[in-house]
Amino acid sequence: MIKQIVLATALTAFSISMAFAQDLRMTVWTGSDAHLGMLNDIAEEFESTHPGVTVNFETIPFSDYVRGLTLQLAGGNPPDLGWLLESSAPIFVDAGVLLDVSDKLRNDAAYNFSDLSQSAMTLWQSSDAIYGIPFSTSPYLTYYNASMFSSAGIATPNQMVKEGSWTWEALRIAAKKLSDPANGVYGFQSPDGLGYDSRIMHTLIPIVRSYGGEAWVNGKCGFDSPEAIQAITLYHQMIFDDKSTVPPGEQANFFTGGAAMTINQISRVSNLDEANFEWGLAPLPSGPSGESPTIGQAAIVAFARGQNTELAAEFLKYMTDTKNSATMAQFFPTARKSVLEGDAFLNSNSAFSAEQIQIVADAISKGGVLPSHPAYPQIEAAMRPRFDALWQADAVIPSVMASVCRAIQPLL
Amino acid sequence: MPIISLRCRESITGWLFVSPTLAGFLIFFFGPLIAVFGYSATEWNLLTQETSFVGFENYTDALTENQDFWLVFRNSLVFAAGLVPLNMVMALSLAMALSRPFAGQVLFRTIFFAPVITAAVAWAIVWKFLLQGETGTVNQMLAIVGIDGPNWLREPNWAMVAVIVTRVLKTVGLNMILYIAALQSIPRDYTEAALLEGASRWQIFGRIIWPLLTPTTLVIMIVTVVGSLKVFDHIYLMTGGGPENGTMVLAFFIYEQGFEFFNVGYASALAVIMFFLIVALTGLQLRLKGGLQ
Repeated sequence: MIKQIVLATALTAFSISMAFAQDLRMTVWTGSDAHLGMLNDIAEEFESTHPGVTVNFETIPFSDYVRGLTLQLAGGNPPDLGWLLESSAPIFVDAGVLLDVSDKLRNDAAYNFSDLSQSAMTLWQSSDAIYGIPFSTSPYLTYYNASMFSSAGIATPNQMVKEGSWTWEALRIAAKKLSDPANGVYGFQSPDGLGYDSRIMHTLIPIVRSYGGEAWVNGKCGFDSPEAIQAITLYHQMIFDDKSTVPPGEQANFFTGGAAMTINQISRVSNLDEANFEWGLAPLPSGPSGESPTIGQAAIVAFARGQNTELAAEFLKYMTDTKNSATMAQFFPTARKSVLEGDAFLNSNSAFSAEQIQIVADAISKGGVLPSHPAYPQIEAAMRPRFDALWQADAVIPSVMASVCRAIQPLL
Repeated sequence: MPIISLRCRESITGWLFVSPTLAGFLIFFFGPLIAVFGYSATEWNLLTQETSFVGFENYTDALTENQDFWLVFRNSLVFAAGLVPLNMVMALSLAMALSRPFAGQVLFRTIFFAPVITAAVAWAIVWKFLLQGETGTVNQMLAIVGIDGPNWLREPNWAMVAVIVTRVLKTVGLNMILYIAALQSIPRDYTEAALLEGASRWQIFGRIIWPLLTPTTLVIMIVTVVGSLKVFDHIYLMTGGGPENGTMVLAFFIYEQGFEFFNVGYASALAVIMFFLIVALTGLQLRLKGGLQ
């Protein structure tokens, strides 16, 4: 009899615990052990204060992320939460697939919503609704091979910053001096070497903005403006006249010493750990319009079709509160002003000095997010073949840029 | 007297044996095929899940308004027209050379068949390195003989040539094996008799071997044409459809519409057009078979 009671009690307890068990699934694009370790630590703390809750992170490779996520949403298997890039924000917000978490965040004084930079929130708010919280507001910065600069006996980007001479023209001159194309060494490499393909915007927008141009403004294409053409001409000359930039079709790599400089984000340079050279970090060069730091942004969002929307909103709040924003800032610079201004942020990443992290913080405070648009996939597809014509030595740049604008203007 | 007759029992047994395969065919092939026809008459946004019936609008837009469609259609035909003859000529030549026993025969067969079982990603990555601009191995070898090679994957005309040739090298081994099997099934008596009658090697090939290879040639041609029109992974990995949409083929265009723009209805209409294109070309080849025989 006693055995039966014990068994019945155990079964009842198991059934109750199963009934209250909740699994949260969050899609991310990182496969880095360090990133996932940090995320799992945060999740474990959340689980300890939410009995019965389990949080799982599911990695979808970056190149397939939007497609993989969309198929999950369309296939009736939506994740509860996920990461989303700035370029996908308008289309996902317009599609109504993101959960409005404004009540959860605004009604909790401890969350301190006003601490989030309002400029960083632009893409993720619509009227009073909040559809995501940027966890990564990561500026593009100049990474350089200090050993190569030292061997060539020329001033490093940071020395030029101090002298006030760190411009795109100065970068061009330095790149030309450091290039040795015959031996597969170049002065400059675009972000991840994908500047002629998937990362055209990440390569050109920092230059274009520092020359006073913009991709598009208020529904008007800006690639054919004199400022944009001047900026793009400089980059074109670096590739084809100076032969100082890794050209289309070549695969030299900054991290293995194949290029003296590149621009990229702090979250995408983990390969520096294995670099066999001294390296440095400097702001982006300035142009005729001064400094124009450019920021790539990613947010944590909850999905309206998820199975546990209330809990998902709770976890989103937890992940982006002040404490966890500070934890994640070691890899993903936050949009929280209190974290960016604190000393803890300066010492958050052992791979970077406090001085270098200060450069990151300065760029975030002055920077503008990369362009986005509800029709971004179509715009990107329309631009791609037109930009291909730019990557020829004899390209007539004003004419190519006019064709880019003709192709994308109807979509803007 | 049994309740069920022997014939009926055999029939039930037969259906039970084929039912797993039949169920798989209906669920995973026939069902989706019919569904694609239905989707093609809708405007279905994958992300918003909003669907509306639009009739033949997707078809008329693709065939009469979308300029990219005809560029893509032309690219698909150019790809097939380049790949199929090159693949078949190479496969037959290799089969003729490797069907007779000689030292190293197995080694050479293995070398030419190995790309077939190599992962498409690995194949594409290696060729992207080999076909780099000035520092690419192919161009450095051409430079030795005084030829200034192009930037293969970055110049619109050369990119198509590069993807066709690298695709042929990847797939020719399979057709070679089919031709070797067909050559080995031709009775030796025929060729020996022809030799005794004083026929030249070309006459033997043209009058005996080639006609006897016709059924195999037809199968190879149909499979290769269908494969060339459906090509996706090779283009995706090598050029991404560029430069200047010069290698954008139908399957890649369908992928772009469906999974980058989320227009499933439009992508389905394009898939139906591709389906009928393949059916038409296959039918044409089957009619050719009648002519050949």
